[in-house]
Amino acid sequence: MGIGEEKIHLVKYRTYVFVWMGLVCLTALTYTVAVGIHPGGWAILVALAVAGTKSGLVLSYFMHLKSEKPLIFKVIIPLVMAVFLVFILLTFSDVAFRGVVE
Amino acid sequence: MAPMILRSLKTMDEAKAPAFEGAIDYTGAKLGMWLFILSELLLFGGMFILYAAHRYKTPADFHNASTELDVILGTLNTIILLTSSLSVAVSITAIQKGDRRLSMVLLMVTMALGLLFLVNKGIEWTTKIGHGIYPNSPALLARPKGEILFFGLYYVMTGLHGLHVLVGVCVLSVMLILIAKHKINQMPFTPLENSGLYWHLVDIIWIFLYPLFYLIT
Repeated sequence: MGIGEEKIHLVKYRTYVFVWMGLVCLTALTYTVAVGIHPGGWAILVALAVAGTKSGLVLSYFMHLKSEKPLIFKVIIPLVMAVFLVFILLTFSDVAFRGVVE
Repeated sequence: MAPMILRSLKTMDEAKAPAFEGAIDYTGAKLGMWLFILSELLLFGGMFILYAAHRYKTPADFHNASTELDVILGTLNTIILLTSSLSVAVSITAIQKGDRRLSMVLLMVTMALGLLFLVNKGIEWTTKIGHGIYPNSPALLARPKGEILFFGLYYVMTGLHGLHVLVGVCVLSVMLILIAKHKINQMPFTPLENSGLYWHLVDIIWIFLYPLFYLIT
């Protein structure tokens, strides 16, 4: 299969609607946990886990990463996330151990 | 982003040339867009790290400031953006199936939802500014350091995100015109697909802004 002969992957409308329903349910979940149940220190973890799951759904289905054939699409996201993780670790290794400046 | 869209438009022109008939490099056009999207993620990522570092230093101030934001309006805007992501995704499938009418209607729905998001954001900002909370305002500067930082980050991050929504609406309106003029048809739909990717990026950024500013108190 050469350039220009790539098959177009058609996603069913129904699949998109299911993904959207999932996203709305996750929003309802994260809202309820934060506003209703309010589990203190767990709130940040729950909110971030839900946000991570939601963005995963958007990336895989709406942005078609799931059906992207070339390997490069599977590699670049983890690569950028790894770079971002390095930024986080470097920043916090500074912030956490920095002395108090009077 | 403009170069990516233009490049994908160029592939459309190339498709017309007899020598390259049918030679549309979907992967190349999309990969270019993805590289841009990832650079955008790192741009916002830097600001997320800034937020996390300041929150770590002054948790009580961040707690007090974040309770002042309107959670209902934030949640409503989340639902609006998620729905607009659905409409643009279906719009792309529609053009792939050759249903131009459905594709155009859904693009208009997406743009309307994007504008509705901005209206809500405007209401939110106006209310805050009405209370004297805006960057460098006397009322804000009289508050503890962490609260000044929280609202500073709030205005910069939601402002930059709002700007992205506005750009997205403009890009989608160009796509709407291109579809209306039969420039984007069943085959060279790459410009629309890339615009859709940009719109989903805006959605993903909001997916993280929403809990950080409105939910975690």
